[in-house]
Amino acid sequence: MNVDITDLTRRFGRNQAVAGVDLQAGPGVFGLLGPNGAGKTTLLRMMATVIPPSSGRLRLLGRDPGAYGPRREVRRRLGYLPQNLGYYPGFTVVEFVEYFALLKEMPAARVPGAVATAVERVDLGGRAKAKLRTLSGGMLRRVGIAQAIVNEPELLLLDEPTAGLDPEQRVTFRALLRDLGQQATVVVSTHLVEDVGAACSEVALMDQGKIVFHGTPAELTARGTEHGTGDAPLERGYTAVLAAARS
Amino acid sequence: MTATAPVTPGPRPAVRRPGMTIPGPARLLRLELRHNAMLWLLPVPLALFWYNGYHEIMALPPMWNLRAMTLQNRLLLDLVIPVTGAAAWMGSREGRRNIADLVVGTARPRWARQLATWAATTAWAEVACLACVAVVYVMTARQASWGGPLWWPVAVSAAGVPALTAIGFAAGAWFPGRFVTPLVTIAVFFGLGFGTQAASGDHSYWQISPLTAGAFDIGAAPGVATFYHYLPDLSIAQVMFTAGITLAVLGALGASAARSGPRLRWLTAVITAAGLAAAGTAVALAGTGRLDPHGMIVIPALHDAASNQPVRYAPACSRTPIPVCVHPAFAVFLPAMTTAVGPELTEVAGLPGAPARISQVAEVYQQEPQNGITSLAGVPGGSAFILTDQVPGEPGATSAEFAADLEDTLGVKLIRDVILGGNASAAAARPSQAQLAVIAASVRPGAVWLGPSAADADAPEVSGRPLLALSSPAARAAHRFSALPPAAKHAWLAQHLAALQAGQISPAQLP
Repeated sequence: MNVDITDLTRRFGRNQAVAGVDLQAGPGVFGLLGPNGAGKTTLLRMMATVIPPSSGRLRLLGRDPGAYGPRREVRRRLGYLPQNLGYYPGFTVVEFVEYFALLKEMPAARVPGAVATAVERVDLGGRAKAKLRTLSGGMLRRVGIAQAIVNEPELLLLDEPTAGLDPEQRVTFRALLRDLGQQATVVVSTHLVEDVGAACSEVALMDQGKIVFHGTPAELTARGTEHGTGDAPLERGYTAVLAAARS
Repeated sequence: MTATAPVTPGPRPAVRRPGMTIPGPARLLRLELRHNAMLWLLPVPLALFWYNGYHEIMALPPMWNLRAMTLQNRLLLDLVIPVTGAAAWMGSREGRRNIADLVVGTARPRWARQLATWAATTAWAEVACLACVAVVYVMTARQASWGGPLWWPVAVSAAGVPALTAIGFAAGAWFPGRFVTPLVTIAVFFGLGFGTQAASGDHSYWQISPLTAGAFDIGAAPGVATFYHYLPDLSIAQVMFTAGITLAVLGALGASAARSGPRLRWLTAVITAAGLAAAGTAVALAGTGRLDPHGMIVIPALHDAASNQPVRYAPACSRTPIPVCVHPAFAVFLPAMTTAVGPELTEVAGLPGAPARISQVAEVYQQEPQNGITSLAGVPGGSAFILTDQVPGEPGATSAEFAADLEDTLGVKLIRDVILGGNASAAAARPSQAQLAVIAASVRPGAVWLGPSAADADAPEVSGRPLLALSSPAARAAHRFSALPPAAKHAWLAQHLAALQAGQISPAQLP
């Protein structure tokens, strides 16, 4: 298992953002659904080794990121796109992606090729030399995806990756996710259930810091056949599970 | 995005350039160099130096010691605001740009990432520093009559730059708010300025300030580091201090990185401790300084006795009846000097007791118990003199003042030594009225004090200058004697000098 989480918690003062999560994920695209404040981003930040857990067991790519050496090894094989992508406006697309390739300690000889590949995969080859300050929000999101995948990560964590993308780009992006999921574990946190339905082989639904559902998109859809509300079948499953969890 | 290319499954083959691969840290540094605030700010320190330091330095006489030491005194002060500000701005970049989450999850340690940014900032700041040095030194090389560049003052300034960037960068990294840049810049500027002002006396710890060039109250004087070698003792301590500050701050920056590995924590702790030890040792060494007789600071623990030897040089001499010889660094002042004291030289040339030539010698300094410095300006004999520090080009010194000072000192001394018969110090206690009259008649009016009621018995002269009452016989005799043509005065002195020296001539006997 690339992701092996047992009873993981994270507190911020008196607020418990993640309250005892158990999760296992192997290669494939894993969708993380949930309402605002459910703890998705906190869980992803722990998986990205940005913040340590308050308690519980977290193993990534077969290593314990609590220790410095394994954490550094995990980070070399990790790709992460945070919800709010910060960037340096003066950098070009290529420079920004190269910057992260270097921070991920990729072998120097591989960097130029990997950067070019990543930029092409998010369809920004034509804007490779453009300064980030000149790009639209959707393009910046794709730059963020490019930096996340530049090292061909074994574990890819994407927080709201399709925010700001237009429908055509989202379709393209889902295809990219499926492609990446063939070899790596891709964890996608999103509000958009259609992304999950189209790209994910497995899905978990979080609410109030806990996982209230874990299964396939089809299983989630099945939960909504009788009680759920929403326009799409997956949305009905989503609302039905949430309603059941809160009742 | 208006057009979307089909997704390409799997990575494309990497495009590899032939030739040597640049290592990752070097690539990172290259990126940081390209996108560094200091690069865009480069014109600011250069402009500040141009308007503040450069004009002041280039107005100084073209002497390496003066310009190099003044450069050290000014350069960092001109650089401190843009350099510290740019470093603080770069240090706070991750926080300001909300990119911390993104970079924290990468493998390269935070400290290594920060060092790359700091190094790029420092590199551009050093470019600014060394460009200023280069301009001053190139211009001085074209103007100076003797000597070569002094590198220790440059080393102190160059070593101060990383300390400024380290302080600014660390402040920005630790407190990444928008106000940290102006706050740390102002704090460092005033800290540097006040630290320099606080220095007093040769034992002051504050002379560790990298702006302090030379001994307190002497600083960059024309005669310092001219007759004797530049003593690097204080410069070594200053470089040790700034290097120590740099190491300590950078080490603390690394030690403060959360969740760093044990090896990195150990390394940064050692670096911090080493930096603090170096800086503390340097301050302690500065406190052991003492004023060298030649105007520089000696730190016994760092002092090389070989540098006490005087510099060998071939003096530059004037073509006057009595040649005036100066250190070649002062050759530019020789015409002004011979103009100022030419009449006196002509008048006494060839007289018994007149020197065959007059040579400039080094000033001798002595530290007083408190802050003061005593200049032992008295030079025995008439064949040597000390040139004033107030040479044309020094702040507040003009050519006219220089000439007047020469007339007042060298001219009076020369005439006195000849008229009083080589026993000036003994005779000066009570020179005769005729001797005073001849001295007064032989030097410029500015060198004689005339008063309506001078007590000629009690105070015939002040500071070697005759003090004559306007209506006294001596004053009338001086007036008569000064009206003679130079040849007549010279002829009379040649005939009657021995009698005049023996006190056998009265004012009434003067022609």
